[in-house]
Amino acid sequence: MRFIGKAILYLFLICTGLFLVTFPIYFFNIDMKLTSMIEPLLLKHYDRIDRDQHL
Amino acid sequence: MAVKKFKTMVNPKPIKGDKKYGELYKPGGKVRKRREWRGVGDTLYDYWRWLGILLTLGKFVAVPRNVKAMFRYRWMANYLAVPMMVDRFTQGLRGEYLRMAHEQQDLIIIDVAKLLGNIFRGDRRIGNDEEFSKINVLVDENEMTAVMMGFPNLKSTSRETPSTYVSVLLNQHAAEHYIDVAQEYGLAGDVCPMPEAEAGVSIDDDAPILGACAVQCNTTCDGSLLGNGVISRRLEKEDGIPVFQLPAPLRHKEDDVQDYAAEEIRRAIKFIEEHTGHKWDWDYYFECARRVNYATKCRNEWLDMNKTDYPQIFGGNLALYTETNYMAICGKVPEFERCDRRLMKLAEKAYKKQKMAAPEYRHRAIVWGVQSHFYMDFLVWLLNCWGIVPLTDMLSCINTEMIAETDTPENREQAYYDMAMLTEEMIMRNRTHGGYKVLLDDLFEFVEQYNADMIILWEHITCKALDGMHGLFEDKARERGIPLIWVDHQLFDPRVISRQGVRDQVNQYMRTVMQEEPLDPTLEILDDDNSW
Amino acid sequence: MKDLKHLIYFEDLLQDANNALVQQAQKEGLKCIGYMCENAPEPLLNLPGVFSSRLRAPRTGSIDVGTYYLTSFLCEYSRAILERALEGGYNYLDAVITPDGCTMLNRCVENMEVLQAMGKDKPGFFFDYMEIPMKADYNGLDLYVLQCKNHILKPLAENYGIDTSDAAIRKAVAEHNKLCELIRAIGDFRKLDQPTITGYEYNVITLATYVAPKHLLIDKLEETLEELKNRKPDSEPWFKARVLVVGSEVDDTDFIKVVEDSGAFVCADRYCYGSLPGRDPIYLTDDEDALTQICRAYMNRSECPRMMDTASMDGRRSYVDEMAKEYKADGIIYQQMKFCDPWAYEKMMGSTILRDEYGWPVLAVDRPYTIGTSGQMRTRVQAFMESIDIKKIHGEG
Repeated sequence: MRFIGKAILYLFLICTGLFLVTFPIYFFNIDMKLTSMIEPLLLKHYDRIDRDQHL
Repeated sequence: MAVKKFKTMVNPKPIKGDKKYGELYKPGGKVRKRREWRGVGDTLYDYWRWLGILLTLGKFVAVPRNVKAMFRYRWMANYLAVPMMVDRFTQGLRGEYLRMAHEQQDLIIIDVAKLLGNIFRGDRRIGNDEEFSKINVLVDENEMTAVMMGFPNLKSTSRETPSTYVSVLLNQHAAEHYIDVAQEYGLAGDVCPMPEAEAGVSIDDDAPILGACAVQCNTTCDGSLLGNGVISRRLEKEDGIPVFQLPAPLRHKEDDVQDYAAEEIRRAIKFIEEHTGHKWDWDYYFECARRVNYATKCRNEWLDMNKTDYPQIFGGNLALYTETNYMAICGKVPEFERCDRRLMKLAEKAYKKQKMAAPEYRHRAIVWGVQSHFYMDFLVWLLNCWGIVPLTDMLSCINTEMIAETDTPENREQAYYDMAMLTEEMIMRNRTHGGYKVLLDDLFEFVEQYNADMIILWEHITCKALDGMHGLFEDKARERGIPLIWVDHQLFDPRVISRQGVRDQVNQYMRTVMQEEPLDPTLEILDDDNSW
Repeated sequence: MKDLKHLIYFEDLLQDANNALVQQAQKEGLKCIGYMCENAPEPLLNLPGVFSSRLRAPRTGSIDVGTYYLTSFLCEYSRAILERALEGGYNYLDAVITPDGCTMLNRCVENMEVLQAMGKDKPGFFFDYMEIPMKADYNGLDLYVLQCKNHILKPLAENYGIDTSDAAIRKAVAEHNKLCELIRAIGDFRKLDQPTITGYEYNVITLATYVAPKHLLIDKLEETLEELKNRKPDSEPWFKARVLVVGSEVDDTDFIKVVEDSGAFVCADRYCYGSLPGRDPIYLTDDEDALTQICRAYMNRSECPRMMDTASMDGRRSYVDEMAKEYKADGIIYQQMKFCDPWAYEKMMGSTILRDEYGWPVLAVDRPYTIGTSGQMRTRVQAFMESIDIKKIHGEG
């Protein structure tokens, strides 16, 4: 019983921790803010790729 | 004639959380300042769904070849914007409406992730799994996939769907590079930018190479038909992938074209059998047909609901899902049937409670024409900014008839005609072809059926089929006293008419002609030209 | 060269859709069938008792009303035709039959129908539309035959009592062939090193055969052919290079004139309203009904970009190559009427393929419906002539 109680407690703490980390990312749109910084780098990379451009 | 006017309906229940959605936009920014506060319950629900989307994306990225593809194909950069697309489509939604949107959008994301995974697995440049490549049949983006309903072990794979169609949904600027490439090769700038961009992907050497064969269709317009010629040239002459051109009759309402259409379906199936070695499976076909019928039944019921004072699945929630489920899925993916059931439950629940999706319903509108692909969430904006309820849109007004779903000798013959009918009447072309009645007369019938007091008429400026009815639309609306708002756009290219340019056309009409003030003034002018 | 005796006569026929010969034929009791697309089998519109008039809008001025109904994004041809219809310029017609060749022509005719632009005072008047195949094969042929039966022969018989029997069709084909052979023979003078006919003259004559009753033209065509046999060319060539013009609808003789005034000789005409392949005779056999043979001929020879099968697409380009060789062209001009979707793509593909794979000098241009004396077009053609000259010099060197 004590083991189950501990497991539930740890699970709760993990979930709370994850929530505390991810919810601000979600709410303040940090995921999108980060990925929007990656896009220009990727576009530069695509411009450098050799392509067999033709009809 | 007096102008028709709908009596404003005020939502008795206040909308929880944010109400000034324009404040979430960062002027000139690519993304928004923060996500929407929808009250505790709905925010947590949205957050939970966001985690689910991240999980889907995480699983996708965990496959090394998908990462390799990310660095090979320019259009893959657009997939960085997946969560934002969902945010755009769910703006202002609460309760059942938010849940319906997520049910659809999240499933579409999973489906597109699977499609991408399959493409890169078979792609000669990326995964190069030759055996897997052989079970893929390439189809157009804008093609009814009915001819694949009897091949349980083959995949109908559209390269254009992820490279252009979905990309533009994710990032309004996604097609610009490919449009420019096509024009550099001499293509005129006045053709529809959708096939133009698809041709541009092929010219730019940015289309994955896979598949046992390809089935192209004359889809929606002269541009699509001709754009396929650019793509098939490279497929056949360079990649060695044989192509079958499936011409669906344009005058699809005429009895004397149906034998021709059915024969082309037979030939397409035979072509696929020859090039894949797989045989047509009638059991699987009728299983898919039952799912197609269920989707049709659900859509009919949703549209019937939208004829009442309490529409439930409408606007963005109706348009994108219908396009995906009807055309690309076409009964082949059971998960969409389960999604239909969940949507039906949610819609019925909200309908019983007489729920409303916005603080006020001021106008009931039929949205007609070809919507701006780079601004598909415009329908959400219409509701939130002006209280205009987009009851249905032209692309959702598709087949309402049931097809044969039990396996009998007669039905096997009928099945060719059913597949032909679905192909002829696939999204967009069922209205842009087939004579003026299906485009012009039907619109005004829908206005009556849905008790609409307004028409929002998307004028995709290079869609010749729609442009060709411009004056007649105006004449008829004037005769009947229906306010008609023209909304010009260039489908895939926001450089011609921006999102704000799209909104301005409604803003000006609502203020000057209708003499109304917006429901949410913060949404009237948004600096989102650089936004995804 | 000395002027052709009947050139002004032919030019006059192009000044008005309802020209003198149309009026004469209608006085004879013939019914006039309007059409707009090369995919409508012409012999079927010229059965005994009827004749065809391919719609043009000569001397087009303002097209504001056409633009109101069709917007500025549809080709000017469709807008000008609708404008002319609404002005009453086609009131002489007894029917309009149009294939769904392209969206713009289809919408143009649909607008005429909805707006009741013509036919109100003619009890037998009708509009009809046809589905036509997009692939050249057995299924396409079956469709073509059925559509011609249902949308040409049936309404002609029902509304005007026209004899649509096999014998009547064969008679129409014989007359059609007579005209085609004359036009072909006249066109052959363009193959001469010192051609005795200009591209402009040929364009005028060919165009007249599309817009006037054929049987009333035969004598003038025969005389012109005889005249050409003895016509003396100029001592020095009046052109810098010979060009084949390929592309969309051209019914504006000024376009060919501008090209020729810029130093080119239009030695061959592969465009809608041109003679290649529009004036190919249709040779019938007795072992199959005439209707099927006509449809097969139209389907197999179609150079319309709406034909979507790979064989037809490849065939379009190889046909241009063949014609360029046959007519001894030095270069090819791909022209496209602005806003024409099918030819926008075909111009890109054809011009690139003919240049890169077949090795032809190619100029690709777009143009309005009526070109007048366009300085821009003149400059582009002149530059093209110079580039051909330079290539010739390099080749010789």
